[in-house]
Amino acid sequence: MVENSPSPLPERAIYGFVLFLGSQFGFFLYLVWAYVPDEWLHSIGLTYWPQKYWAIAVPIYLLAAVVVCIVMLFGVNMINTAPLSSVDNITDVYARGQRIDDCQKRAIPRLKDVSISEVNRIFYLSPQ
Amino acid sequence: MQNGDQHYSMEDETYTDIDGKAISLECQSHSGFCREFTVSSAKVSIGRVMVYTCAVWLSAYIVFFITENTAVLSSAIIITLVGMMVHIHFVKVDHETLLIIGSLGVQVSSSYASGRESTDFIEMDKIKDIVINEAIHMQTVIYYLCILLKDPSDPEAVSSVVPLFQSSKPRLNCLVKVYKSCQEILAKC
Repeated sequence: MVENSPSPLPERAIYGFVLFLGSQFGFFLYLVWAYVPDEWLHSIGLTYWPQKYWAIAVPIYLLAAVVVCIVMLFGVNMINTAPLSSVDNITDVYARGQRIDDCQKRAIPRLKDVSISEVNRIFYLSPQ
Repeated sequence: MQNGDQHYSMEDETYTDIDGKAISLECQSHSGFCREFTVSSAKVSIGRVMVYTCAVWLSAYIVFFITENTAVLSSAIIITLVGMMVHIHFVKVDHETLLIIGSLGVQVSSSYASGRESTDFIEMDKIKDIVINEAIHMQTVIYYLCILLKDPSDPEAVSSVVPLFQSSKPRLNCLVKVYKSCQEILAKC
């Protein structure tokens, strides 16, 4: 009953339109709050607003956060990369634990990890 | 160098490191089971030293001109002198050497620009193999030569990895020459 395809559906169209209207209304409300002076808003009767300072501060905070996140993404990736002296560049727990099957005649051998020494011999020592 | 030495420096093929700077490889064959490989980086260029020193001193003079504080000038002089001494003694590697002696071991040594040498010896019993591996290094994938050390409890497992030629980081053509030569010696013992 659950459909996993990304094709357009009536429910998705309704969600999309509701989000569109909501975001347009939110943006219009933000502009009204940022530009209309406080006296006019108080005279209508709408008195409970955040300080106007936040109309400038929140976009700048978001922009600074995005820039810091990009820098930190590179930094976290570089920290998590194994150094050249780490055994993780050569093998891991799955490759160490694989069973060595004796291959039957005329059968396709089991898929397994080839050791780095063997790979080097094939690449660099065998005559091309 | 003894009489029976064969000494090759590869003249017809220019080697570079991973950044494109020129390096040189020298292979010496001391005997049938003993070979030595030396990878030399470019020397400290006097032009670059002069440019850096002049730039730092000029900016220090400009700061002094604005702030009228003589401590800026003396601190700039001290910083450049100490920085240069630290750089040539601890940072700038002049050449790196790999000496492999069949059935005895491998000696790895790096010689810094100030003349300081740091040497490490690994017995042949601990060495599983010398291989060229590829790994991720600072947003690129590089080839590097490394010594695989055996785990004492499990002879088939690799316990640790010693990367070679870390400061000069030669490219694959240089590494393949060293690899083939080392494998000839390792196959005999």
